[in-house]
Amino acid sequence: MLIRKHAMRRTGQTLSGVALMTVFCAGASAEEVQGGTLYGDMHVVTQDMLDHAYGDANNFLHTNGNYAQTRYYPARQINRENVHTLEKAWVFETEVVESMETTPIVVNGIMYVTTAFNHVYALNAETGEQLWHFKHEMGPITTYCCGPNNRGVFPYGDKVYMGTLDAKLVALNAKTGEKAWEVELADPELGYSETMAPTAVDGKILIGTNGGEYGIRGFVKAYDAETGELVWNFDTVPEDSKGVWATHDATGRDMMRDITAERVAYEKNGDPYKTLGGGVWQNMAVDRETGMVYFVVGNPSPDLYGAIRPGDNLYTDSLVAVDLETGSYQCHFQYIAHDVWDLDAVSPPIITMVDDGAGNQVKGILHGGKTGYVYVHRADDCSLIRFSDPMVSQTGRWTLPTKDGAPMLPGANGGVEWSPMAIDPSLNLAYAINLHQPMTYHVEETPYPEGKLWLGGAFKVIATEQQWGNVSAVDYNTGKIRWKAKTEQPMIGGVLATGGGIVLTGEGNGLFKAYDSASGEILWQYKAKAGVNAPPASYNVGGNQYIVVAAGGNVQLNYPRGNEIIAFKLAGR
Amino acid sequence: MRLLPLVFALLGLTAQAEEDVFAPVREQLQTCFSCHGEEGASTNPEYPILAGQEFYYLYVQLKDYKSGLRDNPIMGPMASGLEKAEMKLLAEYFSEQAWPSIDYQATPEQRQIALSSISAGQCVACHLSGFEGNSRVPRAAGQHPQYLELTLRNFKTKARNNSPSKSSLMGSMSDEEIVGVAAYLGALGSN
Repeated sequence: MLIRKHAMRRTGQTLSGVALMTVFCAGASAEEVQGGTLYGDMHVVTQDMLDHAYGDANNFLHTNGNYAQTRYYPARQINRENVHTLEKAWVFETEVVESMETTPIVVNGIMYVTTAFNHVYALNAETGEQLWHFKHEMGPITTYCCGPNNRGVFPYGDKVYMGTLDAKLVALNAKTGEKAWEVELADPELGYSETMAPTAVDGKILIGTNGGEYGIRGFVKAYDAETGELVWNFDTVPEDSKGVWATHDATGRDMMRDITAERVAYEKNGDPYKTLGGGVWQNMAVDRETGMVYFVVGNPSPDLYGAIRPGDNLYTDSLVAVDLETGSYQCHFQYIAHDVWDLDAVSPPIITMVDDGAGNQVKGILHGGKTGYVYVHRADDCSLIRFSDPMVSQTGRWTLPTKDGAPMLPGANGGVEWSPMAIDPSLNLAYAINLHQPMTYHVEETPYPEGKLWLGGAFKVIATEQQWGNVSAVDYNTGKIRWKAKTEQPMIGGVLATGGGIVLTGEGNGLFKAYDSASGEILWQYKAKAGVNAPPASYNVGGNQYIVVAAGGNVQLNYPRGNEIIAFKLAGR
Repeated sequence: MRLLPLVFALLGLTAQAEEDVFAPVREQLQTCFSCHGEEGASTNPEYPILAGQEFYYLYVQLKDYKSGLRDNPIMGPMASGLEKAEMKLLAEYFSEQAWPSIDYQATPEQRQIALSSISAGQCVACHLSGFEGNSRVPRAAGQHPQYLELTLRNFKTKARNNSPSKSSLMGSMSDEEIVGVAAYLGALGSN
């Protein structure tokens, strides 16, 4: 009861629990979601629909477009010839003015968006009219490193699913917004929390966890989509996390580890796996042919103080594959062993055919690293085929942190942050958005603080040095950068590529731009009131293709906050 | 007019039905008020405002005072006899009160240095732009600047040692920055 009262205050509510339920239920029963674009009242998202999202030019069902997470939307009504006539179709203002990282999900003309502090809205995708609004009743313990964000829902069957800041997985009735069930994923007091959208497949809801800044032990879990019962759990940090004592990173650069000292510490203190971090911040790619699930694992805890966690710290900073049915380990590749810079793996991996270096087309996995490289792997064993040319400066990379702060690039936000990349398979290009943000890295001996923020030092932005960003188009078959467009500020949010030959992405200053996929030429731009720091999506209703994006700014980079969902379509339609 | 007796009767019933959930800690609350002000709305700049502070933050601080993780000669003995349920009730009580205004102004110079320092330290990533607090993260906006300055200094010297990442960050801040940040935060929310 006490908890409920407190939660009401934090979400801006003044109503009693009973009053809130009354209002909520009245709203839910009063609103009937209207029919969609194909066959009328289609609310149920089938496995077949999700499997064929690659070729679906009406819906946007997956956070990253499809199970391969290509963010390549096939529709061509909006294209490089006419995108200059793109104009605002509608704007929806949410109740929460705080950073927005949601990917709008569209199911037969119904759009689902989320906000900071776990509000969910269902909207008419043609008009922006609100159909229902769900506010998660937040518990007293929330945890976040970089803002109270949420990256969206995932639709499956007759429900939509969301992870919450108080470490819960919530299932909602897609038609009414009523809660079907919720489960606690892990103890929020220890620093577990959720900002990622889940991924649904074959009756399972897959979700990772935040908490790499709090000394958690990371995981990916699968829950039964109907009942919320745990199906399997994969610990992202194994009990033997020491690895092979790697001295060089994925690009071959010496990481300056003191292996001798680490070995002594490992023998003396044992394996640090229980508090080693390894969060999974973003959706997993699912290979429907092989049943392999690919995700990237974040930084070890504490971020900067490595002496307390000797070894390679497996599987932090790694691409990992597990079996969809059992959650059993299949393969991994570690980009940085024993990371002490928080330059971890966050941006969601992409499955696509790639050149294996010997002229053969093989199934590959792409990942854009906070290091500022695009990595290309074989899907069958996770091994690295190549890495791209660096997309941002690497001045001083792997300079060890010091007490007074050592400057190094990239800064701890990247390179490529959590921002999902997109690809255009017809051009063999991956589109990544990057930060250039010079920082100093400070280390301090810090024992485990039992569920409190545990950085083991500090990251500081160098105020006197200029920052910027870029959009980089990387040929994943060669590693060469085909084009690069510089932006005024460091980039965070996400990218969408379409069959119309355009690439869409937003900036902290409110600019939302369309680039020519092949050349990088800016073809169109729009200025929003707040930072456009969320991944765009696209859909079709009533014969019109729309582009939609959230403009809510960003906490991590302190870009102007807002509360708008903005949909665009071609002028005159 | 005939409605009035009914209204009074209903009000009486409501009052009767309302249980004082804070009854188990009323005595301790009086002790808190003696330094932290009535309902925790401290007017003494050396003692922090508790009224409207975050529930979970307050609870953790009481827990840390009791365990000695947060070492303080006044609060340590105060918290030593508290049970977990009492700590939660005290935290709940203060979190439910309204945050008072201290009507404080920072100088333009203090504001400038604070904004630069806050940007470099990426403070809003946890505190959010209004510094109004959330769960683990305390409200700093409108807190007494004298208390804030002392707190930041204590983090820097590790006299306060129950939030190590804060100590690391403060270790990189100059005295001038600490004074500026404390003044800026104290003035947030004041006209």
